[in-house]
Amino acid sequence: MAITDWPFYLNFAVFTVFLTLFLTELMGGLVLLLFYDSAKKKVLPYIVPIWEVTGTFAAFWVVSADFAYPALIPAVATLFPAAIIVFLIFLVARNSSISFAEYILKHGWLDEKKLYQAYGVSTLLIALVLLMILSTIVSGAGIHLSPISFSFGSWITTPAALLYLLGVVILVAGLAPVFYDLEAFRRLTLPLTTVGVLVEVGALALFSRSFLAWPLLLASVLTVLAALLYLSRRTAPIVTNKVVFAFLSCVIIFSLNYLVYPTAFVNAAGGPLSVNSVTTSGPMVGAFDLLSVAGAVIIGLLMVLYMFAAYRSGRAAPGPRTPPAAAVVSPKDP
Amino acid sequence: MGFPMVNFDRFLFAFTIASHILLVSVSIGIALLLSACEFLAARYRDPYYRGLARKLTRPFVVSFGVGTASGIVMAVELVNLFPTFMQLVSMTGVIAIFYVEIFAFFIETIFLVVYVYFGHTFQGRYTRWALSVPIAVGTLLSAVLITMVNAWMNTPNGFDLAVFTATGKVTGVNPWAPFLTASTGYEVMHVVSVVPLTGMMLLGGYFAYRYSRSTNASERMLFLKGLRVATGVGLVLVVLAILAGMLEIENLNKYQPLKYAAIELNLNPGSNLPETLFGYLSGQTIVGGLQIPGLQGFLAHGATVPGLSQYPRSEWPPLIIHDTFDAMVLGGVLLGLFLIAFAASWATGRKPFEHRRWVYGFALFAMVTAVIMELGWMTDELGRQPWIVYNVMTVNAAANYSSALLYPGLIIIAFYIALVPTTFYFMLRVFNGRSVDIDLEGPGAGEKDGNY
Repeated sequence: MAITDWPFYLNFAVFTVFLTLFLTELMGGLVLLLFYDSAKKKVLPYIVPIWEVTGTFAAFWVVSADFAYPALIPAVATLFPAAIIVFLIFLVARNSSISFAEYILKHGWLDEKKLYQAYGVSTLLIALVLLMILSTIVSGAGIHLSPISFSFGSWITTPAALLYLLGVVILVAGLAPVFYDLEAFRRLTLPLTTVGVLVEVGALALFSRSFLAWPLLLASVLTVLAALLYLSRRTAPIVTNKVVFAFLSCVIIFSLNYLVYPTAFVNAAGGPLSVNSVTTSGPMVGAFDLLSVAGAVIIGLLMVLYMFAAYRSGRAAPGPRTPPAAAVVSPKDP
Repeated sequence: MGFPMVNFDRFLFAFTIASHILLVSVSIGIALLLSACEFLAARYRDPYYRGLARKLTRPFVVSFGVGTASGIVMAVELVNLFPTFMQLVSMTGVIAIFYVEIFAFFIETIFLVVYVYFGHTFQGRYTRWALSVPIAVGTLLSAVLITMVNAWMNTPNGFDLAVFTATGKVTGVNPWAPFLTASTGYEVMHVVSVVPLTGMMLLGGYFAYRYSRSTNASERMLFLKGLRVATGVGLVLVVLAILAGMLEIENLNKYQPLKYAAIELNLNPGSNLPETLFGYLSGQTIVGGLQIPGLQGFLAHGATVPGLSQYPRSEWPPLIIHDTFDAMVLGGVLLGLFLIAFAASWATGRKPFEHRRWVYGFALFAMVTAVIMELGWMTDELGRQPWIVYNVMTVNAAANYSSALLYPGLIIIAFYIALVPTTFYFMLRVFNGRSVDIDLEGPGAGEKDGNY
């Protein structure tokens, strides 16, 4: 890996962690939306302490992308101005609803359930906007690079783009029971996950045959394997352990970096775009690398503290004071 | 389109940031008060301070949740509304400040999560206080770092400015220089005193009001202790804010002379000029206002100060900043005097909190502090117009002219109009959600989900 590649890989690593956390939240949001009463005891202990961390990683990703790709900023503002604002509105709605939900006491029509479901809806809508943007970065669907423009009509009439979205939604539905250990849906996980993987691979193949590469095979196998392991009660504890699941998810997402590097917007008119042509240069590369490494150390130490505290909390005596996050990252989980 | 998009961009960003700083000032105020209460609770084994810390934790989570999302809105809006500006930021060391801010944000977030959700597992006498300190530090550090960005916008450095203004090319980049510009120290000192002061005053005003209305002895004691801390810290901060403000105006005279001239409404340069309070410029004449002979000259140590006539009219900022500045200074001085009188009355055993006029005075000055903070921000930002980066890039050159921003932008404005009052309403609801007696009983008592 050349030093000029570092900004991309560092930024992609941040994106990987953010997306992993966000997808686990999306799974939870979806479950809360559809099966609040039966699933809240499994979902809330994870969601409640983690949503702040996900938001922080989102900000980290945005700022590190600004740092890594200064030349892309005007393009992003031209391509997705409305989508970005819609994304922001749902982000504030997500944070407001979950932070209100944590402490609300029932008062009239508004209660905890409604607020958590509002959080679920907001998270789902954020995901749709995010996936739309990601699908265009990967495929270039609806994008014209010279002059820069984005046609929503062109994007939404691209079958592969819609398949891409559908694939992710099916995967989220298939893997949510694994991550949250929802026994009632055990039998659905493997078929849903397999279909999700097939749809996703199909979408990528339609974008470009060059996407059919070994990292995609690895990602597909690992994803189906997670669902497969959940089928048996003996092997289920491996994948319902949230640390293992998150680690697997990070491996899968990071392995897919070839979809956007060294070129992105593969089918865009006037494309594809060479990522290195928009990456920061000169003394800013050194500053980015140095600060990223220092930041990674700080965040790493903070995450160790987080896991240590969660582990201690998990070992605390059960009873009315059992904390909500007891099961988050405990090695003994579930 | 009849309405220029650049003005819409300006208004949208101004509106969101004006809303954001209200949320953030309360958030910073709570973080500081929370940590102070944890220390006092540990030091004196005082259940009231511990109870108040417990009560404050819940609104803090709400303000953190909404405030951080709103902070992300700011960061992304900058890209969306002023892409050329953000491109310059990202090609220079200013982006490094944003980057470091994220790490401060992580410190705040992780310690908040540990403090709120797992804190009960740490039993040491001072452990909870130790966990609360990085929350306050992280929160304050975020404010410091974002102020550094603003300081760079006022006094840019870290690249070859002359080459950029001539060719638009970014050369001679020093990624670390923007961390310390000519105005960084002064701006940081001013913001670090004013923003927590606003939060502290709003909390103190609320405690004073609740104290006067409550009939429950425990509740009265708890609010009284909160008021004591808010008054003490507020007093220190208001003195610091006034000193920092005086230093900052001297700095403006040196590095942003046009802004200085507009703030002072000096038509012509000169020494030993009068201080003009309020009033406005009509043609070549200052109309209305109160002139105090020699005061400006005295404050400027007799030095020659700049005048508006030295600059092309097209570069003048809106002269309303003269009035916003005067209103800010007047409010700050009155606030300082009130706090000194309140503290002196308390120190001499007169119990001002028992008297309705003092209590309502405190609540009134709490509101005044928020207005002062907004006026100060308006003075700073309007005073830099038409520049987004002083003498380097105009707002017109930086803005996004896409009309696609209009309707989503209007939705954001409508959303914020609902969000800010709703957030304060919920903060009050969760603060008062359970009785003081339950909060005084200790960890675990009456808790909904086991949270602190």
